[in-house]
Amino acid sequence: MTIGGSTSTFNFLGLTFNLGNIISVTIACVIVLALVFALSRHLTMKPGKAQNVLEYAVDFTNGIVNSSVSGEAAKSLGLWGFSLFMFLLVANLQGLFLHVDISGITFVKSPTSDPVVTMTLSLMTLTLAQFLGIRTLGYKGHFENYLKPFWPFIIVNLFEEFTNFLTLGLRLFGNILSGEMLLSMITSMAMNGGPKMWIAAFPLELAWQGFSVFIGCIQAYVFVVLSSVYISRKIELED
Amino acid sequence: MFSYSVVGAQLYVGDMIFVMIAFIVLMWLIKLVAWKPITKMMQNRSDKIANDIDSAKDSRTKAAELAQQRQVELDKTREDASGIINTAKQNGQQQRDQIVEDARNEASNLKSSAEKDIEQQRQEALANSRKDVASLSIEIASKIISKQLNEDDQKGLVDSYIEGLGKQK
Repeated sequence: MTIGGSTSTFNFLGLTFNLGNIISVTIACVIVLALVFALSRHLTMKPGKAQNVLEYAVDFTNGIVNSSVSGEAAKSLGLWGFSLFMFLLVANLQGLFLHVDISGITFVKSPTSDPVVTMTLSLMTLTLAQFLGIRTLGYKGHFENYLKPFWPFIIVNLFEEFTNFLTLGLRLFGNILSGEMLLSMITSMAMNGGPKMWIAAFPLELAWQGFSVFIGCIQAYVFVVLSSVYISRKIELED
Repeated sequence: MFSYSVVGAQLYVGDMIFVMIAFIVLMWLIKLVAWKPITKMMQNRSDKIANDIDSAKDSRTKAAELAQQRQVELDKTREDASGIINTAKQNGQQQRDQIVEDARNEASNLKSSAEKDIEQQRQEALANSRKDVASLSIEIASKIISKQLNEDDQKGLVDSYIEGLGKQK
C-alpha cells in the first residue's frame, strides 16, 4: 500500500510484510493489553475507580452486541465485541499522538489508516458471521437465507455480502486516513511556511486533532455496531 | 484505492495474516487477563444483589410473621394475666371472708368462755362469801355469847381460842 507515503517491506516465508503496519498493529495491541491489564487489577465486589472504568467499557460493548444479537449468542460475542472495540479505539487514536516517519518511510501510525488492516478486520467479522450462521442454522438453513425472499435474490444477497465487506473496511479506513492525511498536511504547511504560518497552523492542527479523536471514537463504535448487525442477520432465519 | 492496491501493487498478504493472528492473540490475552475475572465478578455481583433482594423479602415476611405471632402471644398473655388477677381476686375475697368468719367465730368463742369464767368466778365468790358469812356470823355469835360468860369461862374460852389460833397457824 503506498497511500500516505512510501513504506518499508520485507519478505518472509514467501509473504510480503509491511514493516509500518506490523509495528503499528503490535503497538496498538500492546497498548490495549496494557490498558486492560492495568484496569483489571484488584477486582472486588465493590468496584474501585479502575474497575468501574473497565466495567463501564464492558457494559458499553455488551450493550452494543446485545442491541442487535439476542439470546445465548450475545454472551459468547461479548468478548469479541469488547476486544474489537478496544483495539479499534486505540488503533484509531494511535496515529494522532504517535506518528513516526524516518526518511520518508512511515513506521508508526494508526494501523486502521491502512486498508489492509481494516479490510482484514472486516473480513474476519464477516467470516465470523458466516461461521456463526452455519453453526446456528446448519448448512441448509444458512445457505437458504441467500435465496430469500425468493430465489433470484441470490444475486442481490451475494452482492450485499461483498459490499458489506467493502464498506465495513473502507469506511473505517477512509475516515482515519483522511484525518491523518489532513493532520500531516497541516503539519507540513506549518513547517514550510515559517514562524507566522506555524502560529496560524497551531489552532488548526489542535482543532483537527480534536475532531479526529471524535471521528476515531465514532468509527470504532460504528464498526462494532455494524459487525454485530451483520452477525445477527446471519444467525437468524429470514422471513 | 483498494482496487489500486489489488491491481497496481502487491497485496500485503503477510500483513493480513499478521493482523488476524495479532487480533486473535489479543482477544485471547484479554480473555485471560480481564474478561474472565471481570465477567465473573459482574455475575457474582448480580447474583449477590438478587440474593440480597430475595433474602430481604424473606426476612421481611419473617419479620411480619414474627410480629403477628408476638401480637397473638401478647393477647394471650394479657388474657392469662387478667385471668390470674381475677382468680387472685376471688381467692382474696374468699380468704377475707374466711378470715372474717374465723375471727367472728373465735370472738364469739372467747366471749362465751369468758362469760362462763365470769359465771364460775361469780359462783365461787358467792360460795366463798357464803362460807365467810357463816364463819363470821359464828364468830360474832360466839363473841356475843362470850360476853355473857364469866371470867373463868371467858378465860377458858380465850385460851381455847388462842389455842385454836395456834393450831391454825
